[in-house]
Formats: sequence, C-alpha cells, structure tokens
Amino acid sequence: MGGPIASLHPLSRADGSASYKCPATGSNVLGSVNAPIELPGRRDALKPEDATIEVFVKPGTAPGGVGERHIEGILRGALGRIILGREKGYPRRGVVITLAVVGCDNIARGSSYLPILPALLHTSILALLSASVPLSMTFSATVLAVDSSGEIVCEPSSTDAAAAASLHVLAFTSQGHLLLNESEGRFDFDTWERVYERALAICHGTSALGSDGDVAMSENVDAQPLEGFVRDTVEDHIHREYAWKIDAA
Amino acid sequence: MNKEAALSVAERDFILDALREDVRLDGRSADQLRPLTLSFGEEYGHVKVQLGKTSLIVRISAEVAKPHDDRPFDGIFSIAMELTAMGSPAWENGRQGDFETYVTNVLDRVIRHSNALDTESLCVLKGVSCWTIRADVHITGYDGNLIDASCIGVMAGLQHFRRPDAVVKEGQVIVYGIDEKVPVPLNITHKPLSVTFHTFDEGKLVILDATRKEEQASEADVVIGLNNAGDVCYLSKFSGSPVDAMVFVTKTTVALEKVKELNGIIDKALQADLAKRAKGGLAEQARAENDRLIG
Repeated sequence: MGGPIASLHPLSRADGSASYKCPATGSNVLGSVNAPIELPGRRDALKPEDATIEVFVKPGTAPGGVGERHIEGILRGALGRIILGREKGYPRRGVVITLAVVGCDNIARGSSYLPILPALLHTSILALLSASVPLSMTFSATVLAVDSSGEIVCEPSSTDAAAAASLHVLAFTSQGHLLLNESEGRFDFDTWERVYERALAICHGTSALGSDGDVAMSENVDAQPLEGFVRDTVEDHIHREYAWKIDAA
Repeated sequence: MNKEAALSVAERDFILDALREDVRLDGRSADQLRPLTLSFGEEYGHVKVQLGKTSLIVRISAEVAKPHDDRPFDGIFSIAMELTAMGSPAWENGRQGDFETYVTNVLDRVIRHSNALDTESLCVLKGVSCWTIRADVHITGYDGNLIDASCIGVMAGLQHFRRPDAVVKEGQVIVYGIDEKVPVPLNITHKPLSVTFHTFDEGKLVILDATRKEEQASEADVVIGLNNAGDVCYLSKFSGSPVDAMVFVTKTTVALEKVKELNGIIDKALQADLAKRAKGGLAEQARAENDRLIG
C-alpha cells in the first residue's frame, strides 16, 4: 500500500488547484480554488468583515444530491476555521472551492461520503495552498474503519468500509489538535479513544503519541506521517517553481 | 452572471487586424486545430481531453434501470454537463447559465439525437430493465471551443467504455461483474463530431477551433456536426450576425476533413490504450484460441 500521490496546480484557469489520489481507498479528487473572487448578486449574504467560503462537491458519475450538500457543509465548517478570511482583500469576497470526484468506486445515492472525506480535505488544503490563500495552519486527515471484531482498518477500501461496524474521519491541525471528527455506526468511547490514538499516529507519526505503546502503531512506523506529506508536496512544488532561482544562486 | 471578463477594444482590434493579415494569436492557420491529446484513466470510459488549453474529463457510467414506458425496447442515454468554477472563474457553481444550456443542447443534438449510441442494444428485458448510460463531462480548463472538445471526449468515452455483461435466465436478469465476465463494448452506429467555426469582419474571415479570446472577438459561430461518411447530422447558426450561405457549403468540406482527422486521433489513442490493457487483461485470459507461431 503506497502513500497518496498529489500534484499542485494541474489546472490552468483556476487560481489554485490540486489533484490528489489515494491508492488505498481508490479515491481520486481534483480540486480548484478561486480566491478572492467577487460573488455578484449576493450582497446581502456576504459578510462585511469576513470572506465567504463556498464549497462545491461534484460527484464523478451522478448528479449532485443531498449527500454532497451535507459533505459540503462539513468541509465548509472545517476549512472556515483555518482560512484567515479577515486578511486584506478577503472581506466581502468569496473563496470558492470546487472539488470534483474524478475517479473512485461509485458512491451510491444516500451512502456514506466518509471514506473519501480525507481525500476531499487534503485536496482542498493543497488547492488553498496553491492559490496562496492565507491560512492559520494546515491539517491532515485520515479515515479509519472499525470492523465487527473491534479491529481498526486504516484507509479502508470501499468493501471494507461497507462491512465496517463504524467509520471515523479525524483531522488534526499542524499543531496536533483535533480539528474535525465525523463518526458513524455503533461504537463506544473506548473504541473511539483507540481510533483517536491511531489516527493521531497516522497524521503526526508515533512521536506525537508519547508513552502509549499500542501494538497497532508499529505497523505505521515506516509509513510517513500525513502531515509531512502535505508539507513535502508543497515543498517539492516550490522547489520546482523556483528552480531558476536556486540554480542561479 | 456566467460571463467571462470582456475583451478590451484594443485586444479585439488586434485580433481582427491580425486575422485580416491571416495571422492568428497562436500562429495557426485559419483551418488548423490546436494540438489534441487524449489519455485514458484506469477504469473504462474515463477520458481526459486536452485541446490546446481547453481540458476536460469525461466519465461514462452504466447502471440497470427501468426503460421509459413509451419506449420499452430502448435503453437510456444521457449527457450531463455542469460548468463549475473549476473550468473558469466566471462560471458559478450550482447555477445554470445560458452557455451551459447551449453546449448541452448541441452535444445532445450531435451525439444523442444522431443516434451515435444505439439505444436499442441497451435493452436487457423488454419493458422491465435496460442499461442507462450516462456521460458526465467535467470541464477542468476553458480556453474556447468547448463544444468540439466535449464532443471528442464523449465520443472517445463511449468507444472506450465497456459495460458489464447482463444475461436473462428464466425471466431473471443477471449482471456479471467486470471481473467475472469480459465486459461488452457499446454499440456505436457512427462517429459524429462537431466542428465549430467563428466568423469575423462581416463574415469574410472564418476560422476553426477558436480560443477563448478569438471567440469573444468573433461576430458569429457556425457549428457543423458530421460523421466520417460526411453525413451532416447537425448544423447551427445560433447567434450573432448573419453568415453567407456559401460559408456553410465550403466549410462543410473543411469540417469533414477535420472530423476524419479527429476520428483518426481518437482511434489511434484507443488502439494504444487497448493494446496496453490487453496484456494480462481478462479478455486475454478468456480467449480460446492458441498463440500461433508464424514462420
């Protein structure tokens, strides 16, 4: 199981864009950000002191529906906490984030969006970074499934997710605080605690875990923490963009 | 309010003056297409089209549904296109503009109404179940000539797509998974494509495959949809100033040439992708004939 693959700024017209592919869950998302942008005809809805964040999720092979509107709400909530909408030039303007699910196993109408939520979150943060939208911090997210025997499955495939007793999406800020938690299914507090520890280890590496010596963690020691992945993607991109300058120096 | 930022008077004049001297902004001749690249995703019917700076993704999907009551023998085919802010910042998410309606209508006319996909072959059990084929067009970058690019994408997607095999046994419809039985290609009757021309200077100058700026500076557009055999299946002069009748006559010949060229590019890309998939694919495993040594 390889790590995710991402590229920054694959699109020509949008201010910022990112494509993100997660081999484990099979999701492939393309995201674009236009910011700051005038949102005409909505003067009353615009906040005078803050940017208006709009998220649009476009499913790959079906018309958008209630599931998409719900996930858009979740994304808007999480991203609204890290976008600095009061910076110069942003109040009364819009930050329009468009996410297209380009390839993944079909999400049937009414079924859960949680398995691809981390992909959507990562795509949007990378697209925001590529559009140079001011952010207070970055984040990383992961999805975990707990099967009926209480075993935790990281980044479940669509069949694993369908068979799971509960699904959890957790996002952590770059400081290691919990930013977002969406869980569904039946689980108890102990299970959630275990899921939390595991997710923190995936996003921030085992060092963030402290003295807790959970056996399950050893699986992920060799895998790169996801927080580093976001950083590396941006670093690589900047390195390539500024190659002319680095070469000249 | 789905409008691109207007061209300045100077830019408009520049484009027009250059065209009068037979020069286009990107150095093409009047009847030359921008470079076209087609690539395919992992699953069947996932096509990426790049025509100059216009890029889009088409995904074809199939599911079993009940046919319409008045057409029990026909399957259902629909083309869905939604312009989002991803393609151009001028397009608003979730709001349908005139442009979207227009492009969708042309696609519908050229591909669906010309019966490029034989819908009768999609029937599984009369009046009970049929295949619904859906083509989703995602615009990822808009730089003019959206109609032709989408047409190419949808047609390439339909030819690339393989639907799961379905069998009727004792009145029961059984659908086999992609990895259980060799999936079936769609029944394509002909390969229509559209070619869009734009006119300038009171209809005296006509160019093909205009970029966004050229489109904005133009007076009128003419869309011709035809197939390899030269059968015209769509002809439109939607808006703008009048165009001389001779333009339609002369440009249909040019369009036929271009359609043949484009279909050639599509065929080549499809062949290359098919050859790549053939190695170790299910079709290869299910093949009954022996490898024959020649020579």
